[in-house]
Amino acid sequence: MLASRRKTTQRKTSLGYWALQLIGWSLYFRAQASGEVIFASVPWSKAATLWGGICIVGIGLTHLLRWVITRQTWLALPPAALLIRVIASVLLISLTTYLITVALSQAVYDAPVAPIRGALYHRLSLAGQLRNQFIAILSIYVIWIAVYLSFAMQRHRYRAELRQAQLGEGLQAAELRLLKSQLNPHFIFNALNGVRALITDDPGRARDAVTQLARALRYTLASGEDDFVTLERELEMVDDYLALESLRLAERLHVVRNIAPAAHTARIPVMLLQTLVENAIKHGIAPLKQGGTLRIVAHIVERQIILQVVNPRPVGAASDSVIEGVGLRNSSERLRLLFGPAARLRLDLSEASQATAEVRMPM
Amino acid sequence: MKALIVDDEPLARRELHRLLTTFPWIQVIGEASNIDEARVQIEALLPDVVFLDIQMPGGTGFDLLTQLDRVPRIIFTTAYDHYAVKAFDVNALDYLLKPIEPERLATALRKIQATPSSSQSTAAKDAPLEQLFVRDGARCWFVPLREVSVFSSEGNYVRLLWGKERPLLGRSLGALEQKLDPRRFFRANRQQILNLDFVKSVEVGQSGRLHVELRDGTEVEISRRQARLFRMRATV
Repeated sequence: MLASRRKTTQRKTSLGYWALQLIGWSLYFRAQASGEVIFASVPWSKAATLWGGICIVGIGLTHLLRWVITRQTWLALPPAALLIRVIASVLLISLTTYLITVALSQAVYDAPVAPIRGALYHRLSLAGQLRNQFIAILSIYVIWIAVYLSFAMQRHRYRAELRQAQLGEGLQAAELRLLKSQLNPHFIFNALNGVRALITDDPGRARDAVTQLARALRYTLASGEDDFVTLERELEMVDDYLALESLRLAERLHVVRNIAPAAHTARIPVMLLQTLVENAIKHGIAPLKQGGTLRIVAHIVERQIILQVVNPRPVGAASDSVIEGVGLRNSSERLRLLFGPAARLRLDLSEASQATAEVRMPM
Repeated sequence: MKALIVDDEPLARRELHRLLTTFPWIQVIGEASNIDEARVQIEALLPDVVFLDIQMPGGTGFDLLTQLDRVPRIIFTTAYDHYAVKAFDVNALDYLLKPIEPERLATALRKIQATPSSSQSTAAKDAPLEQLFVRDGARCWFVPLREVSVFSSEGNYVRLLWGKERPLLGRSLGALEQKLDPRRFFRANRQQILNLDFVKSVEVGQSGRLHVELRDGTEVEISRRQARLFRMRATV
């Protein structure tokens, strides 16, 4: 769709360009040729031949210039470089046109100066008239290039902005993919190590653990496709995760869940709650020798979903766990990309003994 | 060979214990679930090898090493933190990835069996320290103490002047002094202990103090009280 849009704009531009080109040059032709007939009293056929020729040369040369400008993308150049090229090329095509004019005039009228110039500047010497002829041609091209550049630069800027916007969208999508949390490899290998021990000690529990690990892995792998899931679905993942974590944390981990019935069907960004829980285990429960209670709370207030994960805080580690790792920062950034200012993640460390991570987002 | 298992996860300890039963010459003499328990057991039981987890509540395996005077041979066990072991300049230390492969465990144990037991673990308990495990930010080393020119007190810590490095040790200068070899190290003043092997020149300064220049360019002043002792040492 994008490509076709670009093609359409190109066709439109091209149409506008030719319309302006033809209107401009025909006005110029009409003014010069009829002026020549009136002021220099020459036959119309001769004036038309001379000015028709000049205008065709003008169209040809300016079109060539336009081709060079687009081909070499002059508009992307810094202003000074663009200016030098524009001045040089305008001088060059002016000189070319001038020489052709002289030759053509010579052929039609047997004089190097077009009769209209001779009529208007009859008091000047021949050299003065020739110089005037050159200046007249030069000014036409200066006008041409000024009109052309004002249109072309406008369009160039518009396209650059469009590209920037598209690039921004692409970047955001890529960022979101990156920010979506993955299961921590540390967790996976620890869980596998636990399963290995259980195979001898408690085969039944080992079988459950394998199922839980498989489900958790499948959930994270599939989460690449869906951006949102129901809270209920996410909680199943969290349960599997916590069951596996309690293999290694054993009695150190105690979980309390407080989920409002209405919140079960609310849709949340996939792996968001999981990231909060993982973070709470990593920074809250695991560093504590005696472990502690992890609380998961979800409710709905004024069409906002509020998720809270509360964990005990290890003493002393308080100040550096404020930064609480990449997990929460990523989640916060992800919420910003998904909801803008309507959602937020806050880590409440106002109490010395516990930390609360809270997410509020629109339903 | 006596082995100690340090890991906060009961299942991980049990699994490693079970794996070690296939090596009859390894005798597991204890298990610890955090570094405080581990330090007590290492000092009391003098294991030859310690299987040491890295992430544990209350302190990491690296923290444990910095607290030990005599570091037994260490095999780190980790699920994913082996990058931490590799990143540290501690090539003296081996590591195993959990779940532990029996073959890899056998290789690590053979390596330990082949290297002669360091004097550290078997030396008499009151023998002077020869090396310390020192950690400075993200880096750490086994520092041979004879290579340290000066120990300077910085509050409750000691700054080591060791080649180009200036690592900080989490001990007080007084506590450290008692464990250093008195034939090599000399208490120059309240703040500093210097390594006598590094002394390049000595000049008599004001009011009985001595100015000592060391081979690495450091200058140390010996207080008047200590200057007398230093002269006696020098004449011996």
